[in-house]
Amino acid sequence: MSGQRPAAPVATAGPVERRRGWTGWFDPRGRRLGGWAFALNRLTGLGLVAYLYLHLGVLFLLSQGPDGWDAFVDVALSPPILVMDVVLIFGMLLHGLNGIRVGLVGYGMVATRQGALFVGLMIIGAIVLLAATLRVFA
Amino acid sequence: MSVQPTPTDEPGGGAGAFLGQVISGAALLVLLTLHMIAQHFVLPEGLRDYASVIEWVANPIVVVLELSFLAFVTWHALLGLRAIVFDYGFSPSTERWITRTFVVIGVVTVVYGTWLMYAIVSAA
Repeated sequence: MSGQRPAAPVATAGPVERRRGWTGWFDPRGRRLGGWAFALNRLTGLGLVAYLYLHLGVLFLLSQGPDGWDAFVDVALSPPILVMDVVLIFGMLLHGLNGIRVGLVGYGMVATRQGALFVGLMIIGAIVLLAATLRVFA
Repeated sequence: MSVQPTPTDEPGGGAGAFLGQVISGAALLVLLTLHMIAQHFVLPEGLRDYASVIEWVANPIVVVLELSFLAFVTWHALLGLRAIVFDYGFSPSTERWITRTFVVIGVVTVVYGTWLMYAIVSAA
């Protein structure tokens, strides 16, 4: 008994041995939709954690008075940063909406229809992303 | 066989951690939506300048909502990071140290955010 937990559960079609950690997330062998959603959820989660700490760092400018913050706002409204905003919204929508699926499936709800649920949630996400993109570049 | 996440086999701490992710995730769906709409989609310019931020955080309800958002997003983010780290497979004692480390990072994050909010509100 090693006392160690097994590797992360991933959707497989057969006895595929994957590497532990992120190198195994994108191993395409035998992977179904749920497995890709699992990998995308972790990838977007890592990006969102990085953004959280970047955001908290940038907000420090607010404690330094209007000069630093308003100069930052000018930069933040430049097209390259707005494109990054759209990427951020994409990550939040994918992670959040897929998280609803993970929560429901994890507690045994809609387990047999999780593929349809994922597709439906992603369609909603695409519509919201389109609306948000139009708003960002308006 | 398709293996789906369940409260007992979700990587990174089992049923308790999975429940924590679900609770904090559900709270974030509400708080993040409010945060995004209030901060980025209400004003015609799409982003608040210094004067409007100061005016905004003068409202105590906003302070409570933003600090709640910070607490839930930190909890959710660090539980998720811990799950990813645990996937690499460590002994139970090492996992306990990893958990303590993430707890410290989380506390520091929330204390920093609270101090930052205090500093911003003080300028109002």
